[in-house]
Amino acid sequence: MSWPRVLVARLRGLIGRGGHERGLEQEIQLHIDLLTEANLQSGMSPEAARSAALRSFGAVEPMKEQYRTHLTFAALSTLAQDLRYALRTLRKSAGFTMAAVATLAVAIGANTAVLSAVNSVLLRPLPYHDTERLVMLWTESPSENLREGRTGYWNIEAWRQSRSFTGLAVFDGVSLTLTAAGRAERIAAARISPNFLSVLGVAPAAGRMFTDQEAGQRNRVALISHAFWQKHFAGSPDALGAQIEVDGVRSQVIGILPAGFHFPRLDAQIWEPHTLFPDWDSRRAVRGVDTWSVVGRLRPGISLPEAQSEMTAIARGLDEHLPPAERNRGVTLMPLSLHVVGPRARFALWMLAAAVFCVLLIAATNVASLTLARGISRTREFAIRAALGASSFRIIRQLTVESTVIAVMAGAAGSLLAWVAIRLLGSLDPDILGLPPPLGAISLDGTVLGIALALSLCIGWLAGLAPATILRRRNLDLSSDSGRSIAGSAATQRLRRTLVVGEFALAIVLLFSAGLLLRSWRNAEGVESGFQPQRVVSLELHTPFQLPPQQRSNFYDQLLQEVASLPGVEKAGFTSDLFITSTREHLLTTEADARGLPQRVELRRDEVSPDFFTAVGAPLLAGRFFNHTDGPEAPPVVIINRALARRLWPSGDAVGRRFKFGPADSGGPWFNVVGVVADMRRQGAEREPVPQIFESLAQNPSGGGSLVVRTALDDPLRIVPAIQAAVLRIDPLAPVSTAATLEAQLAAFLLPRRFQTSLMAAFSAIALLLAAVGIYGLIQYSVATRTKEIGVRMAVGAQRASIFRMILGEGLKLALTGLALGVVVAIPIGRASSSLLFGISASDPPSLAVGVFLLLGVSVLASFWPARRAMNIEPVAALRNQ
Amino acid sequence: MKRQGPDKAEVLQGTLILLVLRTLDALGPLHGYGIARRIEQISQDVLHLNQGTLYPALLRMEQEGWISSKWGASDNNRKARFYSITAAGRQRLVRETGEWKLMASTIERFLAFDPSTLAKERE
Repeated sequence: MSWPRVLVARLRGLIGRGGHERGLEQEIQLHIDLLTEANLQSGMSPEAARSAALRSFGAVEPMKEQYRTHLTFAALSTLAQDLRYALRTLRKSAGFTMAAVATLAVAIGANTAVLSAVNSVLLRPLPYHDTERLVMLWTESPSENLREGRTGYWNIEAWRQSRSFTGLAVFDGVSLTLTAAGRAERIAAARISPNFLSVLGVAPAAGRMFTDQEAGQRNRVALISHAFWQKHFAGSPDALGAQIEVDGVRSQVIGILPAGFHFPRLDAQIWEPHTLFPDWDSRRAVRGVDTWSVVGRLRPGISLPEAQSEMTAIARGLDEHLPPAERNRGVTLMPLSLHVVGPRARFALWMLAAAVFCVLLIAATNVASLTLARGISRTREFAIRAALGASSFRIIRQLTVESTVIAVMAGAAGSLLAWVAIRLLGSLDPDILGLPPPLGAISLDGTVLGIALALSLCIGWLAGLAPATILRRRNLDLSSDSGRSIAGSAATQRLRRTLVVGEFALAIVLLFSAGLLLRSWRNAEGVESGFQPQRVVSLELHTPFQLPPQQRSNFYDQLLQEVASLPGVEKAGFTSDLFITSTREHLLTTEADARGLPQRVELRRDEVSPDFFTAVGAPLLAGRFFNHTDGPEAPPVVIINRALARRLWPSGDAVGRRFKFGPADSGGPWFNVVGVVADMRRQGAEREPVPQIFESLAQNPSGGGSLVVRTALDDPLRIVPAIQAAVLRIDPLAPVSTAATLEAQLAAFLLPRRFQTSLMAAFSAIALLLAAVGIYGLIQYSVATRTKEIGVRMAVGAQRASIFRMILGEGLKLALTGLALGVVVAIPIGRASSSLLFGISASDPPSLAVGVFLLLGVSVLASFWPARRAMNIEPVAALRNQ
Repeated sequence: MKRQGPDKAEVLQGTLILLVLRTLDALGPLHGYGIARRIEQISQDVLHLNQGTLYPALLRMEQEGWISSKWGASDNNRKARFYSITAAGRQRLVRETGEWKLMASTIERFLAFDPSTLAKERE
């Protein structure tokens, strides 16, 4: 048999089916007409002629059926029949269909969106070669409470004897002033060792990396990012060999990195030799100047723990060469991916993924429960079908087809929802995940979508086949008058009760977690920031690179005067850094300390102008702010925050006291504390304020920082163009970058929390709703099937109130069982997520109580209507009906 | 199923293909009614065809490539589908004919078989 040819013909038949059937219809018609004519000619009456013709043609429908099986494929044709039948039944019970599809679609949409986020942020590989083998190496010092500290060059030279790595590269992120066409611009850059790209396993897209020799000779060479190449050279090959002006020095472009490459910062645009730091000699030679970050590539076959133990041994071996203060330092190894997306963001995402999966489970449970209920009421239909000769395989197949239709519809609707959700996520602030773009950029991923659709199908089948197993177990009994056998419905109800208990257990876990997050968020929002951020805007600003430090004061004076005189400006201040990016440990010696023993204090030093504190709205607690007398000639003065004042002078007034950096006999100057300000939370609301020292900008003018302007405008951003113009008037080569309101910057610290919390709250709201629908459906059905029983109870004297209580109690019992189970799980889960909590304990009773209360309330509400219906059953009518 | 008469034989399953191929080979393109009519005529109304069953068979034969079909006009100018035999169909006809003849002669031998001759051979 030439089956390939038949196969092709049948495949073609599949397409042109309608045409074939019409053709057959015409042939049959012609055939019967011709037969009739022949019979007429042989002298039959018209009626007899026609019936004889039909007789000799034979039965038409079975023949057509046979024709169809030949036309395409037998299985397909019955499948199409099942499909038509499924669509018809689903349309007939539109309520059930819509409930099932909507439930699944919401769950699948949410899962696809969250999984896309997980995939984009956690699973998509970084743009380097074999990223799993890349490791960050940090200096660790338990005694100094340092876990991921930077490292001195001297130590790194020693680390290089390690045999665990094919290479260790050093780098340090910097920001540089790029001058082009008479304007200056601040850009992110990195200074890197010559082996940097080979360690990452990346080759320049064009040109080359600099050599050891070039780095050693401190040649001015640079690699540029793809974006920089496009922006400044319009993608022209002439870029290679071209000169750019960086920090006032000409530098030659020798290479262009591939598009999508980023390291260490996402927006880094220039990479220069690590030797180009002006203070390179001290960075290289002096021990204890810990400025470098280190990335290494593990040698094949070496595991992270192996490398860790070797590095620890190397660090131990260094101790004998080190002064006591620097001994007992270790090395922390951390996979690069973990460094890029920190453990907290990671944990938050996985937690959301787990939460949304719980929602999916609840939705699946609900759909299974719905299908079970529907299965029972369809017992009669199945019995009839079985009686007419349908095999149980055929009935199960029918159920499978129905579930598939539901799953496909839910999958399609869910994908649409996911797409909308992702678009919404994308339109939100990219900082929302606590990650800058493009890492934070989430896209709907084909693989994820495929997984979601597969999941939808699996759930559809599982939920759809649940009734099938029960139907198989029992006799399909056509004779029972209602078509419902009590025993079968009892078995089903038991299964449904278990499902509802499971739903409540999952729901309380979600509600409790959401409660914990909500309360943490409220706590974080309520924290006193130490600022008065309304109507304040800040701009990043740098002094022109060619300006010697002595002349910076002049620049700042001019700038602050000019800006303060702008209409709408109330106060203008300057600080070397508005928010704290890093703190350092300093030795401080107070004058009063008789023994002169220095204290180690982890603190932050900044230089500020006199009006800075009034501009940000930080209140003065004692003493005075800086003023024009605190110039370079005057004795050095500082203002400290309350945290430092309490630390250094716990019992008394700090104003008027003096301290110096380093031990008492060091050559540094004594600083006179002239004021104490309130603690500003410059690391976000959730970090306790660190000790802070503010020096006078006039006495120690920094190279750049933030211009902070308090305005009279409701939208302070409107003043920005005037400020930029003022800066240009003073010096066109002073680069101004990002401007943002203080309120927005403070809120940005809370964005990830807000995002996590609102998602979690949304998920638990869905869970609550689904649990309510689940328990309502169950109790409602239970009342409907027990009409007769309730009638009997009433007939023998049960009070209506007790019937009401009985039904309500049924719902409450299920809810309580589920809650008891759920709480057992929820408490350890809360404890495990304590890193995400703020200001509450992991077993926060109010969160738990609110969750329990909500779910109990929902179960009472959901049982209330069925209970009322049960109460109003007329015993006579109930008994007569059944 | 009702029989038209005791003297009419149902067309054997499997022989229908042979009959159709032979008819088309001998008489050229025919529509479905024509094929059924000729088969009954040629068999002098001995062979009775449940005429509807012809169509699934025709579809299968066309899928196998033994016959081809074309829409045209019938004698009384009605739209009709005309079937004609293909080269592959002629090859098939030769094979089917051979097989049928072999089968027929074998059956023939069984019918002509005389038990006494077999008994003799046994001895």
